[in-house]
Amino acid sequence: MSVRASRKALAAFALPGCITLGLFFLLPVGAVMSGALTDGGAFVRLVNDPVFWNGLKGTLVLGTAAPLFSLIVGFCIALTLARLAPKARTAALIAISLPLTFSGLIVAYGFILLLGRAGFVTLLLAKLGFDPAVIGGFIFSPFGLGLAYSYYLVPRVVLIVLPAISNFDRNQLIAARSLGAGAGRALIDVMLPQIAPSLVAAFCLTSAVAVGAYGTALALVGTQVNILPLVLYSKISETGTDLPAASAASLVLIAICVLIISLGEAVGRKGGASKVTRQN
Amino acid sequence: MTLKYENVSFTYPGATTGIFDISLEIGKGELLAIIGASGSGKSTILKLLAGFVSPDRGRIVIDDKDVSALSPEARRLGVVFQNYALFPHMRLWENVAYPLKVRGVAKGERQSRALDMLGRVGMRNRADDLPAALSGGQQQRVALARALVFDPQGLLLDEPLSALDASLRVEMRDEILRVQRASGIATLLVTHDQEEALSIADKVAVMRDGRLVQIGTPRELYETPANAYVAGFVGQSNLWQGKVRSHGVVESEIGSFACDTQGRSPGDAVTVFVRPERVLPVADSEPKSAGGELPASHFSGVVDADRYLGPIRRIDLKVSGGLIRLETHLRDAVTSVRIPADAIRLLPAN
Amino acid sequence: MPIVAIAYFLFLFAPVLLLALGSFGESWSNTLLPTGFTWRWYEEVAADPSFRRAFVTSLQIVGITCVLNVLVGLPLAYAIQVGAKGGVRLAARLVTLLPVAVPDLVLAFGFILVFSSDQLPWLGSFWLLAAGHLVLTLPYTVTALVADMEQLRLDEYEHAAATLGASFFARIRDIVFPLLGPSLVSSMLTVAALSIGEFQLSNLIAGFLSRPYPVVLLQAFYGATGFACAATIVLLLLAAIASLASSLTSRLSNNKKAAAA
Repeated sequence: MSVRASRKALAAFALPGCITLGLFFLLPVGAVMSGALTDGGAFVRLVNDPVFWNGLKGTLVLGTAAPLFSLIVGFCIALTLARLAPKARTAALIAISLPLTFSGLIVAYGFILLLGRAGFVTLLLAKLGFDPAVIGGFIFSPFGLGLAYSYYLVPRVVLIVLPAISNFDRNQLIAARSLGAGAGRALIDVMLPQIAPSLVAAFCLTSAVAVGAYGTALALVGTQVNILPLVLYSKISETGTDLPAASAASLVLIAICVLIISLGEAVGRKGGASKVTRQN
Repeated sequence: MTLKYENVSFTYPGATTGIFDISLEIGKGELLAIIGASGSGKSTILKLLAGFVSPDRGRIVIDDKDVSALSPEARRLGVVFQNYALFPHMRLWENVAYPLKVRGVAKGERQSRALDMLGRVGMRNRADDLPAALSGGQQQRVALARALVFDPQGLLLDEPLSALDASLRVEMRDEILRVQRASGIATLLVTHDQEEALSIADKVAVMRDGRLVQIGTPRELYETPANAYVAGFVGQSNLWQGKVRSHGVVESEIGSFACDTQGRSPGDAVTVFVRPERVLPVADSEPKSAGGELPASHFSGVVDADRYLGPIRRIDLKVSGGLIRLETHLRDAVTSVRIPADAIRLLPAN
Repeated sequence: MPIVAIAYFLFLFAPVLLLALGSFGESWSNTLLPTGFTWRWYEEVAADPSFRRAFVTSLQIVGITCVLNVLVGLPLAYAIQVGAKGGVRLAARLVTLLPVAVPDLVLAFGFILVFSSDQLPWLGSFWLLAAGHLVLTLPYTVTALVADMEQLRLDEYEHAAATLGASFFARIRDIVFPLLGPSLVSSMLTVAALSIGEFQLSNLIAGFLSRPYPVVLLQAFYGATGFACAATIVLLLLAAIASLASSLTSRLSNNKKAAAA
């Protein structure tokens, strides 16, 4: 029994939320799952579809490259922020977190202007003698998409990794160096093991976000790039399509995300790092 | 206004810790302190009275009325929390007036009563401040005022001094005692600090593993502890294992003691208990049996540690078979000590 | 490290800067930067009937999403924080993880399957869109509020109020709401920012007449650069304002929390 509220009151409080999640989350997801599982041939048709395999390959590349790149950049940013004075750090953090709420569309169009076929950087590099067709094509490849994704993945990395770095006692580095370790050695031997859980958690979260998102990709390239969400999107938005096969593809997408997130939870739990923000 | 626990037991769901068959009574104007190590169940005692948890068995009685099933807001008990829990969004007078507000007292009256109460704890001139502007000691005073303003049937203090600096603690504990005496209210103080309890409580209850070990006045507890645990928990002490050899003689790990063995027979295992200040240094020149009427036990050894504490020295004397702790204001070297028979108490063996 | 940080800030602001420049440029094709200055693109966006309707729809959706988040999310967060025992905690954690585990796209597909049925023929309706936005933002609201309740030590204050004689409703009115107010405002501003930019779900479930702004915006990308920039900047400004306001209120309440501790 709690003094703060009776069990009945608490149940009544939780009810609207449970109904909302039940009706508008569990029911739709359940429908997708049953759609895939009731039609025995759905998975067979999916695995015989070369488009699916290409999409899966693209998604795995994107789901590894984008978070890895974001992790490296985010880690460096967090290291820099940790050394700033509190006020400057707060200001920088607010600026960095802005993209978290930006629509994927804003990012997409911004990158078209920056790196598209007639983008600012593309034309700038063209003046230096680079082939604009190659530079301009980059943003439409899975790696280019990864770069655009990192626009809103890096802030997530920073928000997860920064607390771990801030809580890390820097005297340990000084102690390690006084014991004879070089600066880089001290970082790798002393700091990295302690903040590793938050790094893994950040990687897993951003990876799951990158695997599931489609808005930015759709705005950038239409359905021309082979990633699983876009394959699924074209299946869903075309009429008269094979819905059970689309359900099966959805299930694969969910499975990948759940796998990555469980890994992150298992490792992040140990390190006590946990922070989740929505995907774009 | 009496507060009573009648054979109260409570265990936390899914745990074996709790309290077992506790009976206690706090009379009007009385201050009862509960001390014990963390996990001994002392906080549970307070929570049961405040109404944050309900007893599994037994009754909580306030003024002959069973309140075991009442919610905290229906019990009319003033509680001072460890972190004071002053509402950060209310001014001090609003904090103190809050219990009057929820009881429907008109604004003018509750303001004047709150100011009055703040005056009694010396905080009237800060009435319009927010709690964040206050030091720990000041928050403590306001919390006390808020807990007393609605004439509660009892006052509950949960480790009230633990968040304060050592220098402020003595001052605040006198302040608490002054306000408690002035209002003549039955008071329960829960603390892990035995000095705090001994200095202001009328009665002290010692808890261990959810059970009441001993209850008595501070003096009873200090001078006649029920067992080695209480002796060790309250104040400094010497405790040696031994056996009664014959009438008036106890053989211990550090040698034999001459003391009162009444109620015990030869062969009984006992714990010999002596307070350090009752161990008397013997000057080298002094003859061994210095003509005292009472028999005394004599020991010689070498000083193992000698701590200078200003008014006294706390010395560990290493003797064959063990250590004797003593406190003395003498400045001379110490090699021999004597322990008068009336300084020795025999406690049950461990 | 500082070099990476500076490069990152360039990377962060370059797209926004180009969007802003493009929205005021008269023409921009195959040049490094746009040429000329004009308000024309903004006027065109403002005059475009489908953009006007989408803008109004988006504001309505945002407003309703925030209200629903307060009505549904606040009690849920309170229930989770008060009943914080092992099992409930785990359920709460799951609730916050589910939206990442199930991509918006899959959820949208599920909506299409369920709400185009004869029993629940709600697909394309305004209220289903609002419900979708609610489900997407609810985990954020619950996580943020539960964290703030812990940080505020709400339980201690409620216990104290109870011993002073305050009933459950008095505690909610005098303690919970005033203390939680700033973080509630801050959370709702973030919800507004998320809702206004939401595209992935809306794009598939919105009816033609109740399309929110981002869905209409996508069409603009295939037209004139200046128009697309101006339309994008409008969305960016709305999200940025809501997000900044959220950061500021959250800083204010953090200062309060620090003072209370």
